[in-house]
Amino acid sequence: MTVVLMAMILALLIPIYEAWQEDDIWQTMLAFASIATKTSVMILVVSVLRDDWMIGVVGAIILSVGNAALMLLAHIIKRMGEL
Amino acid sequence: MDSYIYIITALLPLTAGMVVLQVNPYHALIMRGILGAVAAMLYAVLGAADVALTEALVGTMLAITLYAVAVRSSLVMRLGVLQEEGMELGSNSFVEGKSKDHVQQLTNALRTLLAKHYMRLELACYPNPKALHQALLAKEVHATCAQPSQRITKESYENKQSTSLERYPYQTQIRVHRLYEILQTELSSLGTTLIDVDAVDAKDSTEGNP
Repeated sequence: MTVVLMAMILALLIPIYEAWQEDDIWQTMLAFASIATKTSVMILVVSVLRDDWMIGVVGAIILSVGNAALMLLAHIIKRMGEL
Repeated sequence: MDSYIYIITALLPLTAGMVVLQVNPYHALIMRGILGAVAAMLYAVLGAADVALTEALVGTMLAITLYAVAVRSSLVMRLGVLQEEGMELGSNSFVEGKSKDHVQQLTNALRTLLAKHYMRLELACYPNPKALHQALLAKEVHATCAQPSQRITKESYENKQSTSLERYPYQTQIRVHRLYEILQTELSSLGTTLIDVDAVDAKDSTEGNP
């Protein structure tokens, strides 16, 4: 299972690099969406690995909150582009 | 302790460094969201589920939404124009007219110039030159743009106007000194006369006082 987590950490570095390099704001938003989802899934993997239900519930909540934050931020940035 | 925890811990200063080094405020906001997500993961992996939940709710969602609203409303330059010019800008029909072309050109130049400083341009329409001048004095707008012959002029800079009138038909009055400094550097591409209202007022008051 540690190998799986290592692979996920390596996959997490790709959108982090993308967010650092990219100039277009929507590409950065995509990287943010990718990172928010990946970190939540990693929390869920760790909770299964340790058989800890408390972390599992928190991981599920963080997964939905990350998506909600993305939606809110995307709406505000879209309004900025219209004005 | 497992070895992957060390790598996850190393992600936190990495993303924090990205937030610090980012110069564009909107990109920095998204970086803050990434930092919040990584921090929430680290806290959850280290066993602090309650801290991770708080970080995700406050750090990722509430903070970036509030900061996005703040950045969006603060990084803006409000330019007051007269009603007929503003209506021409609103409609996209390009009828041949010298003044219309000029205002369009000026706002486009301003937009590209302000975009370098991550700012937006917002146009506010006023029915007559008097209302325009009142809005500038009442701090409703940061700058006004109008033809000098239409506006209420002061004697103190009439001399300056008469020399610059032949070159540029439009005159921009700016209330905020920092904006004046930014626009002053690229004056040639704007095609307008810039006047710093604060400086003019200060000069008036010093001239008035014995």
